[in-house]
Amino acid sequence: MASRRERRFWWASLASLPVLLAANYAIDAWRNAEDYVGRNELRVSGSVDGQTYAKASWTLNQARLIGDGRDGKITFPGQMRLVVVRLAAKAEDDVGQSWTQCSLTLTDPKGRRWQPLNFILSNDLSRDLDPKATPIDGCDAISRQPPAKGASTIMEEKFVVPADAVPSLSAQLSFASTRPDAISFPLRLN
Amino acid sequence: MIRLLLSLLFGGVTALLLAFLQSTTPSYAILTGPIETAGLQKDTVSSRTFSVKVAKVLRTKTIAFAPYGKSIERQTEGVWLIVSVELQSNYDTMTIQAAAIEGASGRLYRQSHRADGAPRLMPSKDLQPGLPTTGIFIFELPEGETSDMTLVLSRQPSPQLDSEIRVKLDGASVETRDRVEIGANGV
Repeated sequence: MASRRERRFWWASLASLPVLLAANYAIDAWRNAEDYVGRNELRVSGSVDGQTYAKASWTLNQARLIGDGRDGKITFPGQMRLVVVRLAAKAEDDVGQSWTQCSLTLTDPKGRRWQPLNFILSNDLSRDLDPKATPIDGCDAISRQPPAKGASTIMEEKFVVPADAVPSLSAQLSFASTRPDAISFPLRLN
Repeated sequence: MIRLLLSLLFGGVTALLLAFLQSTTPSYAILTGPIETAGLQKDTVSSRTFSVKVAKVLRTKTIAFAPYGKSIERQTEGVWLIVSVELQSNYDTMTIQAAAIEGASGRLYRQSHRADGAPRLMPSKDLQPGLPTTGIFIFELPEGETSDMTLVLSRQPSPQLDSEIRVKLDGASVETRDRVEIGANGV
């Protein structure tokens, strides 16, 4: 026969089960939500001159549209166009790990998102466009060797997009340390 | 005595209720499985994330291609099936890494690695939103499986809560050739 004390513990354990289960679900849900927020750009704001983002100030250095014959006289078949985006950054503080998991993508108002070309193809295209120029590193490479405080750097990414999306494209930048916040630069390519 | 009977009755009813709940609850694999869209070869089949139009289906015993300039010829005791498609992504840059043929027996035949290095293979291509991309998938399967075939496509094998397109291939439109040369311009 169980003692009164044992019985009290038994009932207390049984009563705590729903609470512990609910707490377990809540902790799991919180972790999943945190993971989702860390991977997605949920709040996008337009870039403002002088505004610091990920310990640096950012400006759109260059946006080129290639493939319609106007820049470089190169024409691509059908709707295909190449967009080259260059961002300049000045480190306002010690960047450290703030630029890890860098994401630079193009978006349009229809909700479409274009990822940059891989660095091998990007470097090949750089050499085709200007055989004398040294290819500029992309977002990922720059994020591994960020500039020191007060120094500047340039990153470049290339995108293949359809011609109909070109007039409304924006470049969107974010890092693991800043997501779900991202900054956006309208390209104004026409 | 009544108390014992009531306990047994209560236990039995509880067991029945639990068995009913277990048998009627979908499994985790079904709840988080692929979001399927099915269609016919003559149509463009669209899911939420991508769409596909099957252009041509070829059957052959021998395929030939030249990766890195060196000519390669591969024979099979079954048949090679070359499916030429046009794919389009709806929202994000993506690749279609998982393609399979569901044969007449219901077995799934994934893309053949014996054709790795062939030009225009679809898994090596990025799909950019708004830009249709053409390419091929190559499968190797027993001849008996070709009487009833469905092309199954998804971003990754065994997708979870992601699009999967199933295109029923039209047997009458499958073209048979002795040998198919796969070049940079297709088949």
